[in-house]
Amino acid sequence: MPMIVCHSPKGGAGTTFLAAHIALGLSEMEAGQGTAGDVTLLTLSPYDSMPLHFGLQPAQRLPALGTPADAAVLAAGIGLYSEPDAAQDARLIDMLADEGFLTPTGERVLIVDVPAGDRLVARRLIRHATVHVCPLTASPDCVALLPQVLEDTETSGAGETAFVIGRLDETKRLARHVAAFSREILGSRLVAKIRQDQSVPEAIAMLQVLSRYAPSSAALADAQAAAQAIGAMIASARGGEETPAAEETASPGAALAKPSTSRAA
Amino acid sequence: MRADARSLLDRLGKNDFSYKEFADRFSDLELWPLFEALLKDPRLFQQEVVATTHADMPADLPAAAPVIPATATPTLAGARPAEPTPPAERAPAPSGAETLADLFSRYEAGAGGSTRHGDDVRAMLRRLSELDARGEL
Repeated sequence: MPMIVCHSPKGGAGTTFLAAHIALGLSEMEAGQGTAGDVTLLTLSPYDSMPLHFGLQPAQRLPALGTPADAAVLAAGIGLYSEPDAAQDARLIDMLADEGFLTPTGERVLIVDVPAGDRLVARRLIRHATVHVCPLTASPDCVALLPQVLEDTETSGAGETAFVIGRLDETKRLARHVAAFSREILGSRLVAKIRQDQSVPEAIAMLQVLSRYAPSSAALADAQAAAQAIGAMIASARGGEETPAAEETASPGAALAKPSTSRAA
Repeated sequence: MRADARSLLDRLGKNDFSYKEFADRFSDLELWPLFEALLKDPRLFQQEVVATTHADMPADLPAAAPVIPATATPTLAGARPAEPTPPAERAPAPSGAETLADLFSRYEAGAGGSTRHGDDVRAMLRRLSELDARGEL
């Protein structure tokens, strides 16, 4: 099972939203292909808002990995789980391996949402990840972290690192400039931008999934594009043919290469 | 989404709006000292080398994008940026054009070997302006 780790160096970049919509996008892609694969979404946040992105009640609690099927929470065909104490659990990687979550060529996909503050556990997971999704904000304090973030990705051991600019407000001049600067620096590693969209909090307030509340949402379209790019990277890691749906966005994903490999080349 | 906005989008045959400020010039990027400060960080340049050596570039970047004419940066370091020259007036890249990889390799060589930092930053900003002018940014 390929593992995708979603972790941002800064809070508020929309990491949980992105993780949820990558899961939804990959689930739809797998269903569209008629494959038997399935998608699991694991959150490590002790203060979890993940259920809200699936239209679930705020009181909904997610079970731990390994919970019997009759106690599992399924939303849109995606298994939702929570391990809020993962940062203190030295057996986390072993547990994921035992569950079969660390096989890049497997049919199932595990997406892990790691809070920004849990840098150490993120690094432990990223080392085993097929893709590290790194959401950034188009803000000066976030772009100022780019040198450190890029240095970290050099040594992270992740198969690929995909950057996404989240919550982009293109009506703000500085945000546009930061986004352009980031794109210039990151090149093909910047796979998507997610526009700021009031539909996202509104859908949460309505206890609905975004695709139902606002099917024409700009953020939804952007998140779906991001999911396709990530899907293309997963397909590439599996060594299979890329899906027709992913081909439109395959270039950014396919262009991403393991940094150390590229440098050696 | 409000009903009037939904109605307008339906009439336009679109799903969402994309904001565009046509007067925006990316030469304004230089107004932010943060960018210039970041461009002096060697960790960023090493990564840029990695990014530009990828065989596949993003589809929305022109094939010639990584090439910066070595002689196309007449602005002196420390001076305010000049108005971007219209693309039609720019000379084509000379045969000795410098790739971004070469450009940033010079950054990696250290401060002693990078006397044209100001020029290089402006070259990058000018390229952003060109991409923006062509609607490719």
